[in-house]
Amino acid sequence: MPSGRDVLLRTIRSQARRLAAGSLLGAGHQAGEALVPVIIGLAIDQAVADGDWGRLALWLAVLAAVYVGLSFSYRHGARLGERAAEEAAHDLRAEVVARVLHPGGGADDGRLPGAVTGIATEDVRRVGAVVMAVLAGVAALSGLVVAGAMLLRTSVELGLIVLAGTPALLWLGHLLSRPLERRSAVEQEQAANASGLAADLVAGLRVLKGLGAERAAIERYRRTSRVSLAATLRAARAEALQNGVVLALTGAFIALIALAGGAFATGGAITLGQLVSAVGLALFLQGPLQLFAWVNAEFAQGRASAARVAALLSAPYAVPAGDRELPEPVAGAIRLRSVTHDRLRDLDLEIAPGELVGVAATDPAAAACLVRCLGRQTDPESGTVELDGIPLRDLDPARVREAVLVAEHDAVLFEGTITTNTTPPPDPATARHTAAGEARGGAAGGNARAAGPGGGVVAAALEAAGAGDLPPDTPVSERGGSLSGGQRQRVALARALAAARPVLVLHDPTTAVDAVTETRIAQGVRRLRRDRTTVIVTTSPALLAVTDRVLLLHEGRIADAAPHADLLRRNPGYQAAVLA
Amino acid sequence: MTRELLPTASPARTLAAVRQIVRPHRRAAVAGFGLLVVATSVGLLIQPLLGRIVDLVAARQPAGALVTPAALLVLAGLVQGALTAWGLTQVARLGETALADLRERFVERALSLPLERAERAGSGDLTSRVTGDVARVAEAVRSALPALARSLLSIVLTLAALALLDWRFLVAALLAVPVQVHTARWYVRNAVPIYAAERVATGEQQQQLLDTIAGASTVRAYRAEAEHLDRVSRRSRAAVELSMRGVGLMLRFYSRLHVGEYIGLAAVLAAGVLLVRDGSAGIGTATAAALYFHNLFGPINTTLALLDDAQSATAGLARIVGIADTPADTPADTRPATETTAGSAPGNGNGPGNGSRGGGVSVRGLAHAYEPGRPVLHGVDLDIRPGERVALVGASGAGKTTLAKLVAGVHAPTTGTVEAPPGVAMVTQEVHVFAGPLADDLRLARPAATDDDLRAALATVDALAWVEALPDGLATVVGEGGHRLTGAQRQQLALARLVLADPAVAVLDEATAEAGSVGARVLERAVDSAVKGRTALIVAHRLTQAATADSVVVLEDGRVVERGPHGELRAAGGRYAAHWSAWSDQRPERDA
Repeated sequence: MPSGRDVLLRTIRSQARRLAAGSLLGAGHQAGEALVPVIIGLAIDQAVADGDWGRLALWLAVLAAVYVGLSFSYRHGARLGERAAEEAAHDLRAEVVARVLHPGGGADDGRLPGAVTGIATEDVRRVGAVVMAVLAGVAALSGLVVAGAMLLRTSVELGLIVLAGTPALLWLGHLLSRPLERRSAVEQEQAANASGLAADLVAGLRVLKGLGAERAAIERYRRTSRVSLAATLRAARAEALQNGVVLALTGAFIALIALAGGAFATGGAITLGQLVSAVGLALFLQGPLQLFAWVNAEFAQGRASAARVAALLSAPYAVPAGDRELPEPVAGAIRLRSVTHDRLRDLDLEIAPGELVGVAATDPAAAACLVRCLGRQTDPESGTVELDGIPLRDLDPARVREAVLVAEHDAVLFEGTITTNTTPPPDPATARHTAAGEARGGAAGGNARAAGPGGGVVAAALEAAGAGDLPPDTPVSERGGSLSGGQRQRVALARALAAARPVLVLHDPTTAVDAVTETRIAQGVRRLRRDRTTVIVTTSPALLAVTDRVLLLHEGRIADAAPHADLLRRNPGYQAAVLA
Repeated sequence: MTRELLPTASPARTLAAVRQIVRPHRRAAVAGFGLLVVATSVGLLIQPLLGRIVDLVAARQPAGALVTPAALLVLAGLVQGALTAWGLTQVARLGETALADLRERFVERALSLPLERAERAGSGDLTSRVTGDVARVAEAVRSALPALARSLLSIVLTLAALALLDWRFLVAALLAVPVQVHTARWYVRNAVPIYAAERVATGEQQQQLLDTIAGASTVRAYRAEAEHLDRVSRRSRAAVELSMRGVGLMLRFYSRLHVGEYIGLAAVLAAGVLLVRDGSAGIGTATAAALYFHNLFGPINTTLALLDDAQSATAGLARIVGIADTPADTPADTRPATETTAGSAPGNGNGPGNGSRGGGVSVRGLAHAYEPGRPVLHGVDLDIRPGERVALVGASGAGKTTLAKLVAGVHAPTTGTVEAPPGVAMVTQEVHVFAGPLADDLRLARPAATDDDLRAALATVDALAWVEALPDGLATVVGEGGHRLTGAQRQQLALARLVLADPAVAVLDEATAEAGSVGARVLERAVDSAVKGRTALIVAHRLTQAATADSVVVLEDGRVVERGPHGELRAAGGRYAAHWSAWSDQRPERDA
């Protein structure tokens, strides 16, 4: 179970080579930057003070060489660092998405899609940025070391003042700004509210328009915006103060070095040029110091982000993988033995291979619960769900999904076209079942699905789902937003049929479809799913009428079971459930 | 649907809008920048003071003489720190206030956009402006603007200080300028397309992630994990490569700046040799000049690097101003009435009874096409008497939703007219729950409503029981990040808002669709109570709603094909009779 720390360490380690090379170059750059003030000092001492053009030319040549070196190492070091950060983020992003999509599920439970997307973009980027921060930290450290070494060479006392003073300055700055930082973080969070509200209002634009409530919404936004503004201003004040404190401290530090260096120079312990170099180095040291502060901030953010990434990666699976194999071919016998889960109470039911069964529930929540158990999105609190005699919890959930497809009521369509949405993914296991389904369908009924391997299946599924009239290349926008509610549902149903799994569970597949089309769909489903186990969880009489048998789910268990017509005749509870 | 993005303001318009927003805060602007000028000037005393120390050492003065300049150094630091803090606070106040004004105007206009316009642009366009662009501009105002101001001041004042030391130092320093200007122009020219492409790629990556993650359960069900992982990976890869191209460009930019630095530094040192030789400057002055120039590197690099942020903030700003600038009175030009009511209905606290006054709807020759050449409605005429309840029936894709939206005034028709009393309210299939306390959500429909009004409205739609059972009752936080409501509960909430808005005419678009059959019956009852006493147009695929309506309108391929009471149409044996028999064949009880 990885912690945030593990994620950070792993990320850094994964980029070790780029990081090592980049750090080396970064160190070279900082060393070069540290040399510049030293050379300025030497040039002033040996060329300017004596007005010696030859000396000047010499030092300018040295300066040129230093510049070439520092420029080269900066460019390539930073490039390596940025590349490492980007690659680390990219890998981690893939890992996060892979975990979310893992057949065991569990990572997206209790997290909103927006929040998970935030982890896969912002948090992952921040974790990646830590690699760059490490590189910058190493570079800054070497800048400090080079500057320190040169100062010590100039004068041990002066060097010691700078080297002892620098961390003290850092520590003092940190100490003084910590409460300010903390406060600023709280204020910034408040300030974020305005942006959240604006996005929410825009997302609900249709509702606002429908009600003519734009005015009220605008007023509400204005109030929140003003509260946010007040918070932001407090945060800005804190930050400005922090800036001022750092400036004042730095000024005092430079004064100290100048005073001490001046005294040493007066005493003849160091030359004039060395004094200039020392002052220049003290000014230069601000650079690495600020870099350290930046590195520190990046690490703090990176740690927080890594903790969120780790929490998601280590989320327990909703359903653990079992180790039993499911024998091929899957016959599709389903059995529930005293299943108790949420709204289900001691539920027993049995569905024979190839049967088309309707489940009508008096409580929609119980229906949803049953659907989740059948697709093994969850394991029941007690009791077992079996497929061909093997408890689902003994199987790998991935294997279960290859055999049992649960078409959820709120299943989403993806960006693409109707064809891309309904064509089964090129998964070897799926291909196996599709082929098996084709063979069986052909042998059993000789129905008209003889056309090409993929396209024929899709066309037949679209036809059966009452979506044959929609051009297959119709573009589908995010979550099917470009289609009407009824079109969305029919395409989703076609997708479920095209997948041709041995067992198909449909949950309220036609709630947004008109009655004429619904009747046609019911026939289509029956035709296309012939001889393959199909469960339709619905209270729609049009769908229930084509099933072999209907189970009435009432108070968490099967209260009655018979063909639709019989139940309609004899069971008043059933009548109440399905007739509107 | 072809995307047609919302307007983006021209640079001139953007500048004018910024000026207009800053104008009321002119005094704060002058005060803030004035303070920063003084603070920076004080900071520039550091180098001459250091030069003074060098001179004192060169003149072999006793160490005690160094105390005064050192004390002055400390003082300069303190004063600079204090003034900087003060100035930055002022600048932040100016920037943040202007930003708040801008975002408020932006949200106001965004919410007033005609819905059709917003939809044509795609949901992402407005959302990305609301979140991404506003955040980018805010970030620029918060960090880039003060940093830019300070850096520019440093540069200008340092150059002035160099000139004060000796004008020839200034000339030497300015030798670096052509290189820097050329580099900056080269950079901006090349960066614009790369950053634009990067933003697009990042947006696409974000979209793909949202698509995949929101549909994770569906992806798992279809074992499409590998395919989606591949999609995400490809988009992420594209974004990474574009971002690396941007980094490469920026690093080359810095390399070129190093050349400028070197030229300037060499020139200043050479000027030092020259001036010391002819005796017009001392070593201390030459030291101060060199240190000044060395200290310019930071601000110059900061300024040029901020070009980057400025660039993207300007692009964001143009997109915000593009919306904030649209005339305020665009929506519903065909029926200004809707706009009037939007403003007045919530305020006047019209109690129950407004609805009972009724109001008829008259539709003439209505045609509509979302895209030219692909009409979805043709020549629709429709009259609804005050207080009448009309059910709109038809196969999916027949144009029911479009007709409903036109009647509600949320879309403007391509041709034809809709006459309706002010304040038509519409409840759509897509229900959004606003994030925050449930009471706040309801009050969007009537801001002045008391808690009792809210409870009464909830009771009308049979929702009071479950609302009171929520953890904090009416105060329960719902919507994104809050308590999750079921589809039926969300619809009940939408109906309660309708009751609170209390319109004379109500349009309901399949308000019972997403609940499943059992929930649908609860909602049907809620709909009945919600529209009682109002003129109502109800898009119904559950024909029970048609059977209880005063009149049924059947739509097919965008045309009204039948119109009449349920009983008559059933007997007529036409389209409606076909719909009804498909519906009722499964429900023998009803038919009896």
